[in-house]
Amino acid sequence: MAPSASAVLSPVDRAALAAALGDRLRRRGMPVTLTSLATFTRALEAAPPDDVESLYWTARVTLAGRADDLAIFDAVFDAVFRDAAMPVEGRRQRPPVDTGSPADVWAGLDAASGVDLPGQGLPWHTLPPVVSCDDDPPGGTAVPERLPSALAALATTPFEELDEADLARLGAWLEGALVRWPTRPTRRRRVHPHGERIALRETIARSRRTGWETMALTRTRATRQARPVVMLADVSQSMQPYATAYLHLMRAFARGGSAETFVFSTELTRVTLALRHRSAAEAVAGATRLAPDRYGGTHLAASLQALLRSRHGNTLRGSIVVIASDGWDADEPEALAAAMRRVHRRAHRVIWLNPRAAAPGFAPLVGSMAAALPYCDDFLPGDTLQRLRQVIDAIVDA
Amino acid sequence: MRDAADVRRRLDDHDYLADIGLSTALYLSLELGLPLLLEGEPGVGKTAAAKVLAQALDVPLIRLQCYEGLTAAEALYDWNHQRQLMAIRLSEARHEKLAEADLFSEEYLQERPILRCVRYAGPHPPVLLIDEIDRADDQFEALLLEFLGESSVTVPELGTFHAASPPVVVLTSNRSRDLHDALRRRCLYHWIDYPSPERVVEILRRTVPSAHVSLIASAARFVGHLRTLEVEKAPGISEAINWVAALSVLGATELVREDVLATLGALAKTPDDRDLVAAAVSDHAFG
Repeated sequence: MAPSASAVLSPVDRAALAAALGDRLRRRGMPVTLTSLATFTRALEAAPPDDVESLYWTARVTLAGRADDLAIFDAVFDAVFRDAAMPVEGRRQRPPVDTGSPADVWAGLDAASGVDLPGQGLPWHTLPPVVSCDDDPPGGTAVPERLPSALAALATTPFEELDEADLARLGAWLEGALVRWPTRPTRRRRVHPHGERIALRETIARSRRTGWETMALTRTRATRQARPVVMLADVSQSMQPYATAYLHLMRAFARGGSAETFVFSTELTRVTLALRHRSAAEAVAGATRLAPDRYGGTHLAASLQALLRSRHGNTLRGSIVVIASDGWDADEPEALAAAMRRVHRRAHRVIWLNPRAAAPGFAPLVGSMAAALPYCDDFLPGDTLQRLRQVIDAIVDA
Repeated sequence: MRDAADVRRRLDDHDYLADIGLSTALYLSLELGLPLLLEGEPGVGKTAAAKVLAQALDVPLIRLQCYEGLTAAEALYDWNHQRQLMAIRLSEARHEKLAEADLFSEEYLQERPILRCVRYAGPHPPVLLIDEIDRADDQFEALLLEFLGESSVTVPELGTFHAASPPVVVLTSNRSRDLHDALRRRCLYHWIDYPSPERVVEILRRTVPSAHVSLIASAARFVGHLRTLEVEKAPGISEAINWVAALSVLGATELVREDVLATLGALAKTPDDRDLVAAAVSDHAFG
């Protein structure tokens, strides 16, 4: 290695520094590849940093690969290089939730994963307090019946009358119920006998077999691609009896394809990653932990605005948006109408699920529901298993 | 370029004010020969950075605008099929035998931006701007991997072309889609933040030299204020520049309500935003 003019790092083994910093970052949950560590080491040699500021940028440009990582990177960097004098013995006592504090870099994995949100350990809702099904997989030893016959009885039972075991069975059925996925045409083309456009390259390549005499034309047609699906479920007080069933529905879509899923009550929470867990009970419990405000009031308009503002707002473009809510909203109906107008403009199709719509004589008299309806392409009840089947068909055929 | 400060100075000469983060990223990209992935909100100067870098290095800028369905035929290379068909007819007329190597030779190869970069003959490598990569689909990202990793392009019929010296590659993304890790792994990464109010003033002074000083200061403050409101499309630096230029064309030296309302179109890009900005004008204390 060339002798470096660096004032900061001259006596330091660069490889060891890079490896140690990479290790810190990885322990905080930021993915650091070996390639980027090598790049960092090369960068330290190519541009020896004169001060902490230039070291910061050299490290950030080479190690942090995405915008989501920058917060972790800053915390670790500050802890390592800017607040070097740290009380080491006090580290375990720090609250691990406080990500702003540089000290939690030292808290290690076990402490960081034990982040407690209010309500952890409680089941998603407290219907009949029977044996928890969290430990037994659905359809385990206690229920020897085959699923279809067991489900047949549930087909027309409203969700609020189902107990936890029934809901688990419903979740297991939903997982297998999604076999197709909505698609959209793309601008990408592929060779197909029923194609409508002649592909010159393939045609000439094929004419090689016939002495460069073109005997058959090769045609292409547009391919189809999965259409994005965005689902939002209301988990406020009034939707409590239906929340678990809709979570199972969202889990089927989050696992079966690439749906983005959110729950909202007073604020919007993304639950896609939690719902992808392979165990249904774990997934629903994970989503529970993420939504600290469940069974509170409803801020439907504010939640939709938050979705549009967030970086998932772009996912809405050309997507199928499914909103499951009874439309009882604490926000002004005008605010909801404005938000729905924007959602409707961005989305390919908006489907609203209202479990109360199944009641005889239902009319959307609630101000917010009436305000939102003009911007919905479909309005479905979705309060029983049978009707959920129709919901899935509506989404897939949209 | 000697170091990050030098990059910064040279960009400054071309009226692009880079902060230390961006200049370090550009310098490292040049020095290590790695592509640079720039992300940031729309209108913070990602594309402009690449353009100015090409000017500062005094090399040509080759631009590839990405869109869905972009394929190798538009980005890497294509064969001139019409000429191939002609060659087939000609050889028939002359009763010559035509081998495959005759049809797929460099004569019939059409360069597209990436291959043009790799085969560029000048003394210094060009700057390749791959703009809004998030608009292309992930199949296209996979096409780029060989070029980004090895600065080479393989044409199956001809062989692999290697760049004499690796071109300077700048990719930009608006994050409308998450890019694949394989692509990120091959690039340096820099997130461009919206600059601080003082830097906005500096940038505006440089880019709209005709504008009055006090106009620039209050315009920068007003744009900063707008960004704290819940607008659908938050104004970026490029909107601010357009707006101040519009005000300056109208002859404004101070931020006056009538002028602001007349030039709303440069700032607010949706009807809802227009109403919101108009309301903010009434609340905002000018001067």
